[in-house]
Amino acid sequence: MAQVDWPQIVRSVFSQETAFAVSVAILVVGVAVSYVVWRWVHSLLGRVGIPDSVEGTPFERTAQSFGTSTVGIIAQLAALFVYITMAIIALQLAQLLDVQFFWSRLTGYLPRLFIAALAIIVGLIGGDKAKLVVSDRLRSVKLPEAELIPELVKYSVFYIAALVALSQVGVATRALLILLAAYAFGLVLLSGLAFKDLLAAAAAGVYLLLSEPYSIGDEVQIGDHRGIVQEVDIFVTHVESDAEEYIIPNQRVLRNGIVRVRQ
Amino acid sequence: MTELGALLDDVVDDVDAVFLFSPSGSEYERFAEADVDVVVVAPDNDHDADQFVELPLEFTDVVGRVRFGLEGAHQQELVEDGDEIVCVTQVFAEEMDTVIRVRAREFAHTGVYDLFVNSRAEPSVIRDVFEVAIELGKKGQKGKPVGALFVVGDAGKVMNKSRPLSYNPFEKSHVHVGDPIVNVMLKEFSRLDGAFVISDSGKIVSAYRYLEPSAEGVDIPKGLGARHMAAGAITRDTNSVAIVLSESDGMVRAFKAGELILELDPEEY
Repeated sequence: MAQVDWPQIVRSVFSQETAFAVSVAILVVGVAVSYVVWRWVHSLLGRVGIPDSVEGTPFERTAQSFGTSTVGIIAQLAALFVYITMAIIALQLAQLLDVQFFWSRLTGYLPRLFIAALAIIVGLIGGDKAKLVVSDRLRSVKLPEAELIPELVKYSVFYIAALVALSQVGVATRALLILLAAYAFGLVLLSGLAFKDLLAAAAAGVYLLLSEPYSIGDEVQIGDHRGIVQEVDIFVTHVESDAEEYIIPNQRVLRNGIVRVRQ
Repeated sequence: MTELGALLDDVVDDVDAVFLFSPSGSEYERFAEADVDVVVVAPDNDHDADQFVELPLEFTDVVGRVRFGLEGAHQQELVEDGDEIVCVTQVFAEEMDTVIRVRAREFAHTGVYDLFVNSRAEPSVIRDVFEVAIELGKKGQKGKPVGALFVVGDAGKVMNKSRPLSYNPFEKSHVHVGDPIVNVMLKEFSRLDGAFVISDSGKIVSAYRYLEPSAEGVDIPKGLGARHMAAGAITRDTNSVAIVLSESDGMVRAFKAGELILELDPEEY
């Protein structure tokens, strides 16, 4: 690693005292740089509009109760990351600690730790945000069962965030990954089964809407239903006779064929 | 100032319900705790009020607004006949500046609420058509006043009771009245003769339709022209609603079941 090499070069060029002075200087510069990073991340996230978008999520509220905010935590993490990196470089220069191997492992490990922390923060906020969005969409559905779906979405996002964080830290996540795959597969399979009819109706509906073999006001017979077409949308066709209004799924329209009645 | 206070006390004395018209958050909060029935009448239920009447149009005319709120509340059975009601609304300013006391059923039932909510077409579609008609009435075609006739809902029957005057420009087009392009399009097409036919879900089915309902027994105010007569007749023959922009006096009128229900002046909006 280049990082391990260049302290050696500095030490061979300068004397022991100079190397120590340089490492102290690096420490000071590290403080300055990490402060600049903190300010920069803070203003960048603020400008992107992160504070508005995370407002009201439980994570933000917890952060607020500790006297900081999501943006503050992320900025501090970034600054801490920069500062620790600088400190390690300084320590290596000064040869205060001789356990080179340990430190080089740590420097390799540090970015991953940072990413893991970031993944957890993003996961916590994203999960809560996704829950809010989904429950907002389902607000018109006043069923107790429907409240399960936003929770499910939230914990799914948490699970994936935890998976990313754990794999970054280097914990064996294969079992969890297999669980995720099974979950995703189940989800796709079940929704495929559930939406089978809707998909078929929509495919037929696209054809009916584009080519308009019959239009509103025509008298038609579809199967045993005869009447005037009142409405064609992507899933169903409304056919109305004097007494009844038939709502026919579009795939049935195509399968049965259409008889246009002419007086 | 005690006389003024006493006067206001008399107005709000002994009421059964308070109607808040488009209240702001703090105005609603203030009443939410009170021990009187509160009904919110607004375009959207922003405050999640339990008793809510949706206001489809921003009625500039206060009488129309109050009447719509009362009829809506009556249909939803939020108020009963003879209830004393105080309406708090805005006339000049953005915030509440007017208190009106009315008795439910003091007005004759006009069917304004019925027109929007209990028609075949969706309330939002009827509202969109109104907005298009008002817009058209305000601007006209190149500054000249135009007339237009929109028949909304029960499109299948309407199509069967009419015939095309020319090729239908909306054939295979899938344009809905809420779409932003529609204002421009309808302005262009309004120079065409005939009626626009709009389906329950808001799809513009056809333009250039010559309506052929039987006009027997249609009773509309004298002095209105053939366009209004056609509108009244088609709504009597079918379950549709007709919205007419008059070319001669520039008013927007709505018909349902052969009767004139609502009259609006586009200039006020």
